Amino acid sequence: MIWPSLRVSLLVVSIATLVTGALGLALAFVLARREFRGKEFLDAVLTVPLVLPPTVTGFYLIVLLGRRGILGRPVYELTGWTLTFTWQAAVVASTVVALPLMIKSARAAIESVEPQYEIAAYTLGKSEWETFRLVTLPLARRGVLAGLVLSFARALGEFGATLMLAGNIPGETQTMPLAIYEAVMAGEDRRAFWLALMLTLISVAAVYLTNRLSRPPTQTS
Amino acid sequence: MLHAAIQKRFASGGRGAFALDIAFDAPPQGVTILFGPSGSGKTTTLRAVAGIVTPDAGRIALGAHVFFDSQTHINLSIQQRRIGFVFQDYALFPHLTAEENVAFGVRHGNVRARGERAREWLALFKLSSAANRRPRTLSGGEQQRVALARALASEPQLLLLDEPLSAVDAATRAELLAEIANAQRQTRIPFLYVTHNHAEALRLGDHLLVLHEGRIAQEGAPLDVFNRPHSAPVARAVGTENIFAGRVISHREAAGITLIEVGEGCRIEATYNALPAGMPLTVGVRAEDILIARERITQTSARNVLAGTITKLSQEDARSELLVTSSGVNFKVSITPATVAELGLQTGDQVYLLIKARAFHLIT
Repeated sequence: MIWPSLRVSLLVVSIATLVTGALGLALAFVLARREFRGKEFLDAVLTVPLVLPPTVTGFYLIVLLGRRGILGRPVYELTGWTLTFTWQAAVVASTVVALPLMIKSARAAIESVEPQYEIAAYTLGKSEWETFRLVTLPLARRGVLAGLVLSFARALGEFGATLMLAGNIPGETQTMPLAIYEAVMAGEDRRAFWLALMLTLISVAAVYLTNRLSRPPTQTS
Repeated sequence: MLHAAIQKRFASGGRGAFALDIAFDAPPQGVTILFGPSGSGKTTTLRAVAGIVTPDAGRIALGAHVFFDSQTHINLSIQQRRIGFVFQDYALFPHLTAEENVAFGVRHGNVRARGERAREWLALFKLSSAANRRPRTLSGGEQQRVALARALASEPQLLLLDEPLSAVDAATRAELLAEIANAQRQTRIPFLYVTHNHAEALRLGDHLLVLHEGRIAQEGAPLDVFNRPHSAPVARAVGTENIFAGRVISHREAAGITLIEVGEGCRIEATYNALPAGMPLTVGVRAEDILIARERITQTSARNVLAGTITKLSQEDARSELLVTSSGVNFKVSITPATVAELGLQTGDQVYLLIKARAFHLIT
């Protein structure tokens, strides 16, 4: 059961990282540059999965999205479809636990960009979106990339919340960490070892790649 | 013409509440100077015109183009105002080259056309060799020229400059002043220029507004305002400098002397400056650098001994301010109250002013 779990992990983690990146960046921008009531409360709610045990996060996700959940029940009654025990559930679980890392890192990076640069772009006729794309994001690039790789790593290692919401269905929702757990429980140490090695290699490669990408530009005169 | 009436109240920060309440018209062409000490509201005024700060009430319009009107609830975004802004610390995008910074401001055309336009602007500011360099590798003067080129490349209807030369050295400042004046003549758009530097105000200004505690304390032609402050705050803001418009009469290079006429027929000797005879210039002398004598002194190193009459005498804090008129020119003189008492100085008295040639300095 090495290759099916690798396939599930790569599918889940790549989608979860994309969603975390896009959603996290948008939320980070709003938290860094907008003033509104309940801003710090929103930040706290989004950050809480970082400190909660993943099983607790998973439990809340079931309460919210399960077949009899607050949002899950109307969806089930309308469409007959439920999120729990699907690979999409694994994506949701990974996204929710990875999101705080992306938000924290990207928010700090955006806040460190001098607002003066954005104002300068406005005076040169650029819209807020153009300014974000051409000025803020390039200047916050390193923190954003760092947030992305942390999110990727966190999603790749996700275990508790995934198990709660998506279960442990081989070839369907069984990601590599779940497969490792199962292999160890079944006494199949050899399989556990290869899985663990593969997971380690992917993580190291990701960190190495990000470090290369986010290296400060070489000084040229 | 730029019309601005701005009211803005700031909640008390560390230094208490601050209220801005000003109204002015700036000529449709030329440079209007906002002059005053820090905290007088100059920069806030500039930022309100730009749309960075929203006034509580008032009206800001450039000709028929209304930027802000609290009565009709108009408040255009920064982008809609079509203004150029030159920042004190340049605000060049650090991740872009000089050329990319300027191209950023070009409004029309594809990437190639914008790059071409940017290179034209850089050439105009003698920056072609810096095109591919990033801001942090450029000198302060070069950075400010890129910032000027970038602002002008966006074809603004109005250029706002916030103490643009405060971070460059004197030589670069003189060079940049000439380029800013030149840019104004070529673009024929109004400039609104914040500074507390006399030379900049005199060199560039067609009109000058002195701000004091959020209000306009005096306005007029720069030289008039500097020489005839109507109130104590304005006098403090413009400093204790005597500033005279004059022209070069002749040189005595060997003696190290340039003869200058200021006002109508008041001749002074200043240190030698290789300037053509007849050239108009502005010279300054600090009120503290002028000596007062009761009698005409002959054996002295002071090159200028001018007879005059005390037309005004006032005391403030621990210093006395005299206004002495000599050949129709008013000299502000600052001395101690002790001197006033010992010499028995009174309004209407005949006195002699002693000024070293070196005490006169060239402003423009």
